[in-house]
Amino acid sequence: MISMPPSERDLHAYVDHQLNDADRRLVETYLANSPEVAAQVRAWQQDAQQLRAAMSGALHHTANPELDPALIRQRLKRQTRRHLASAAVLLIAVGVGGLSGWQAREMTLVSASAPMTDAMQAYRLIAQQGILPADYKVSDDGDMQGWLDRYFSRANRLPDLSDSGFRPVSGRLLSTEQGPAAMVVYEDQSGHKISFYVRPPGPKNNLLPRGSRSDGELQAEYWSGAGYNYAMVSPSNLPAAQRLKQTTQF
Amino acid sequence: MNEIDEQLREIIPRLRRFAVSLTRNPSSADDLVQSSLERALSSWGDKRPEGDLRAWLFSILYRQFLDAHRRSRRYARMLEFFTGRDDAQPSVERTVMAQSTLQAFDQLSTEQRALLLWVSVEGLSYKEVAVILDVPTGTVMSRLSRARQALRQLSDGEITSPSLRILK
Repeated sequence: MISMPPSERDLHAYVDHQLNDADRRLVETYLANSPEVAAQVRAWQQDAQQLRAAMSGALHHTANPELDPALIRQRLKRQTRRHLASAAVLLIAVGVGGLSGWQAREMTLVSASAPMTDAMQAYRLIAQQGILPADYKVSDDGDMQGWLDRYFSRANRLPDLSDSGFRPVSGRLLSTEQGPAAMVVYEDQSGHKISFYVRPPGPKNNLLPRGSRSDGELQAEYWSGAGYNYAMVSPSNLPAAQRLKQTTQF
Repeated sequence: MNEIDEQLREIIPRLRRFAVSLTRNPSSADDLVQSSLERALSSWGDKRPEGDLRAWLFSILYRQFLDAHRRSRRYARMLEFFTGRDDAQPSVERTVMAQSTLQAFDQLSTEQRALLLWVSVEGLSYKEVAVILDVPTGTVMSRLSRARQALRQLSDGEITSPSLRILK
């Protein structure tokens, strides 16, 4: 049982239909004799009604198929399977590492500290395996430099590789430990791919002397300039890769 | 499984509405609903409490929103860098006179919007809201009271922009 006159909390509970019948009647009797409080309560009730009315439309939007529970269940199942798969890969890696001992250890140490490893990973993910879709694709009169300038306006210009038959075709933004990165993919007529990769040097301001290294079947040219680090990644066996090495414009 | 999905399908429009009221943006609202459903379905067996399914889902969505909001504030600078503009935060111009209840509602704080939607629109009990926010029922009531007063003031246009005041 609430006490009279009702507290503000009781009045809210009245508005929200959260009082028992006895209390509700008490409040109603009180309000009948207190026009000022009654007006206040009415205003709250009206606000609530208007809010309900204004928001009722939002319940009748077309359904979004992406949100269907059955689909989400499927997606979750696939994810679990993928996690199990990567756990298996990890186990194999540990097994192999155990067998080949120091050699494997040194290999991982080297690759972890090698410059612009992320650029090569990005090339594998985007250009080779096509796992990540492009954010931007060059149409007939598209402007790749314009796209890149939206994010890296102060950075070095995109190199012109048209002599070797390579044109920029698509771009993708990535986030790395060192900060936001962008990768532009060049392609020639026969579908060979070269990537241009730019990102901040990272918190330790790790600027790079001009250099080149290969990792597996890929080769990376890297350098720093205008406050960013860059890499150009291509398959080592590509004739154009040799030309990249010799070009001094970067 | 199918019975649960049916229940979920009925609640999804309500989740989307709640998400829009939090994010003020339909597409990020749907992202929020999706990640909340993923969270709910993957922790169904061990975490799902007895009681109103809707209230439980609201609480998951609300927490995810707060987490994302915190993260997005932390990464607001990076976002701004990526998109060229800062769309993680709603407009700071909150002094415009409210003309309708919905406009007034949009100017309330995140928690006040959630409270009013749960109680006034969805009709959740104070107790259910107390569980979602993890505070005592009394606290829910006083916060609700403050939210209502704020909505009232904004709807009445009592809070006007400074420039209007100067012009008077």
